[in-house]
Amino acid sequence: MCGIAGILYKNSAAADSGVGKALIDMLDACQHRGPDSTGFSLYRDPVPGHLRLRFIVGDGEVAAKAIERVKTKLTEFQAKIVEEEQRGSSFAVLVKFDGDLQKFAFEMEHAAKLSSIGESLDIIKDLGGAFDVDNVYKIENFKGTHGIGHVRLATESDVAPEATHPFWATGFSDISIVHNGQITNYYKMRRRLEKRGYFFNTDNDSELIAVYLADKLKHGFSLKDALKTSIEDLDGTFSFLVSTKDEIGYAKDKLAAKPMVKYEDDKIIAIASEEVSLNRLFPGRALNTSEPAPGTYDTWQRSISA
Amino acid sequence: MATIDLSVTTVREANELLRKYGADGIDVEVLNPDARHHIGVGLTHPINVHIKGSAGYFCGGLTDGPRFHVDNNVGWGVGDNMLNGSIVVDGNASAIPGVAIRGAEVVVKGNIGSRAGQVMKAGTLLACGNASFMAGYMMYGGRLVILGNSGEKVGQDMTGGDIYVAGKIGEMGTDAMLIDLPQKERDEILAFLDKYKIPFTGTFQKIVNAGKKLRYPKTEPRRRAIPFFESFADNSYWNAKVQEDIHVKSQIGRYRIRGYGASRPMPHLSDIAFKKDIRIGAMTDPDVISKIEMKTEVGGRSGANPLKLSMPVMIAPMSYGALSKSAKLALAIASRLSGISENTGEGGMSKEQREEAHQLIYQCLAGRLGWNIHDMQKANGLEIYISQGAKPGLGGQLMAKKVTPEIARIRGIPAGIDLRSPSRHPDVLGADDLVIKVEEFREATGYRVPVSVKLGAGRVRDDIKIAWKDGFDFVELDGMQGSTGAAGNEVLEFVGIPTLSAIQEARDALTEVGGLDMPVILMGGIKDGIDTIKALALGAHAVAMGTSAIIAGGCIACLQCHAGTCVTGIATQDPEHEKRYNVPVEARNIHHFLESVRWQIAAITHAMGYSNPHQVTRDDLVALTPEAAAITRLPYHPEYRERDQGLLKAS
Repeated sequence: MCGIAGILYKNSAAADSGVGKALIDMLDACQHRGPDSTGFSLYRDPVPGHLRLRFIVGDGEVAAKAIERVKTKLTEFQAKIVEEEQRGSSFAVLVKFDGDLQKFAFEMEHAAKLSSIGESLDIIKDLGGAFDVDNVYKIENFKGTHGIGHVRLATESDVAPEATHPFWATGFSDISIVHNGQITNYYKMRRRLEKRGYFFNTDNDSELIAVYLADKLKHGFSLKDALKTSIEDLDGTFSFLVSTKDEIGYAKDKLAAKPMVKYEDDKIIAIASEEVSLNRLFPGRALNTSEPAPGTYDTWQRSISA
Repeated sequence: MATIDLSVTTVREANELLRKYGADGIDVEVLNPDARHHIGVGLTHPINVHIKGSAGYFCGGLTDGPRFHVDNNVGWGVGDNMLNGSIVVDGNASAIPGVAIRGAEVVVKGNIGSRAGQVMKAGTLLACGNASFMAGYMMYGGRLVILGNSGEKVGQDMTGGDIYVAGKIGEMGTDAMLIDLPQKERDEILAFLDKYKIPFTGTFQKIVNAGKKLRYPKTEPRRRAIPFFESFADNSYWNAKVQEDIHVKSQIGRYRIRGYGASRPMPHLSDIAFKKDIRIGAMTDPDVISKIEMKTEVGGRSGANPLKLSMPVMIAPMSYGALSKSAKLALAIASRLSGISENTGEGGMSKEQREEAHQLIYQCLAGRLGWNIHDMQKANGLEIYISQGAKPGLGGQLMAKKVTPEIARIRGIPAGIDLRSPSRHPDVLGADDLVIKVEEFREATGYRVPVSVKLGAGRVRDDIKIAWKDGFDFVELDGMQGSTGAAGNEVLEFVGIPTLSAIQEARDALTEVGGLDMPVILMGGIKDGIDTIKALALGAHAVAMGTSAIIAGGCIACLQCHAGTCVTGIATQDPEHEKRYNVPVEARNIHHFLESVRWQIAAITHAMGYSNPHQVTRDDLVALTPEAAAITRLPYHPEYRERDQGLLKAS
């Protein structure tokens, strides 16, 4: 039960247009849809041969112990810490690592709650509104080409940083999703994916979408084709956004029960639950927006030449 | 022409200004709308409002008379429930445009989103572009004109009204069919298009209801009614009720409908007893009522004017439709005499009921039957019905016999159908949508009226947290011992959650999120003042009584509420039956009963040594059965049963 937002600047020249500020504004505009917590998927500059990991560790003594466990585990995997930062309820590291990512990710889960792993992906999420999270994590000045975000109103699961979106596709680098709705065949699909050896970090149905898509990508599907099959395979009501290192995409269920509006021009594609979020990017302007039709999907790619 | 700039004025202030300009007959221009929600909500004057940009959700919703022009797009629910007036949208409209309109003209120059015109009653919704999924879903009347393509499942479960499609027709919805277009109707549509200067020369295909689902194919045979207590008194497996059910089902081939609630024995407040010593002697004090403070306020937590109850009791929501106008009137009078609140239930507010009840809660259901801005503004409380304890997750049922022309007119539906009210709100598909809906109600009534939610006990723990997060002023929580005018027998017996579990889960959930400031009104089998005090001690702020009030007013509990031939004149719309109901006498009887409840509350509170029933706590209670102990986590003390029975006799 939530609001979602995503933005992609199509040309690398626009990369300093400010993804962080745009996402904060869009999420603040739809904060009424989800006052409990807010999260952002940001894509930072990749460092070749390195991975970014962010853990949710809490604070005080609990955090100190979790960080210790993380460091021990990293040593086991000979992942050398290049940079580290503890901020808010999270602990982020940049490590040199070139082993089996999936095994690494599942093992790191045992050290602390993983928020994201990626060459670029950094998922920042915490309790409170968009501005609250920005105050702690300083997202406003983040530049980049694309990102997605989410405001959450917890309905069944807890109000906690780890239950906040975006969800990382546990075990896969750089894939994240934000979702508004409910997947009703969650357990059926989860068991199917678990049989294939995937590990689930939470009981949240949105994580399933991320892992589902990542599995498809692993098997050679394009993001667009993976979105296409998701509409057939997932039951329920959903409007979701997915992002990878180079792309963002959306899918909308056939029942058209959850809102989604998109705006596109030469420079950007922006998608949000409500037009009021899009209008925040262009105050005072009447935007030429459209609503994706039920059962549709699409993707957009950033210019790779950057 | 006045100007309102939304870059410097909040929507709430803007709507107050719009109402003021409306009263003075001044047209308004709205600048920098930037797709904000609720612009123009609650306006009841015929002024022109020009919105220079996009508007968000419920633009022009809950209005009567104004003419809106929106230069760009609109969000969900444009023109929600609009009576008269018009909205012209130059861009696209998102989902459920023209939802529940009752006469308005909503014109969208671009495309329209899914479920267009859901539960609309009268008026015209026009899309110059394409429609989306389930256009005309569950519409009851009026016309939906689509110049582009229809989208999939057009006319799904429509009951009445007409859909005209100029473009391609996608898959037809269930119970919709194509018929020939009369020339006269084409001319009328062209005249409508001309009025809004929309050039069009083509023709239309017409879609109407196919009539396959409006009535149950076979009505239940009439039989001698077996009263509630007789039906279920015999605990043997093949009791009279079971046998009767089988006989009837063998003739009609489907589930049975009946009135009243669950009959199975279930853990209830009668399985809870007072642990604290009760001085029986104190109960005979003739002045006991004057010694106990029991005034209860409900609904002020967000600044609205609270309901002021003379005791922690309300009348539970029951509809005019399920009940006769006379029975509703008697309840209204009794509520006034006893200083408590009455509730309209689903079927709208009658003038007489409004005049008699001093405190009246007005209920909004998914079908928006009888719902309108004028009665909202007359109400003392607004209530969004999500579900009912006797049949959680399902809509109401009103059999054809009770859907008289008068009832049909008030509700805005065709007469003579077996009305199965929708169970889902068109514009509330999740907690996120519900937030925006609640805000719309507040905007429409200037934030003066409390907004509550009625929840049938299902997943209470999750639901109650959502209710708190969505900012409701209070919750009416209804357990499965509550009754209904009509529901499938299987549903009544096997779907709900007992009232006792409901209050315990609600209390636990609110404690968990720190939401104990939101009052819970418990209902579902509350019989008397003793139940009331137990409910209060378990965490309720007040109770609501339905069945017991009806019985006080003459109900004989024959389970035939659905049939429409109620011999007491309570659950009927047949004037011959209704004339048996003596309103002044029954109003007095209900009032007397309510006063006995007041006396019980006072006597027991006093006998326990308290001065206010809200002082009684869980520590004063014990459970008499292992089940009740497990549900409530109260200590299990069966030995208190004897004393409890003594108390019943004394009171």
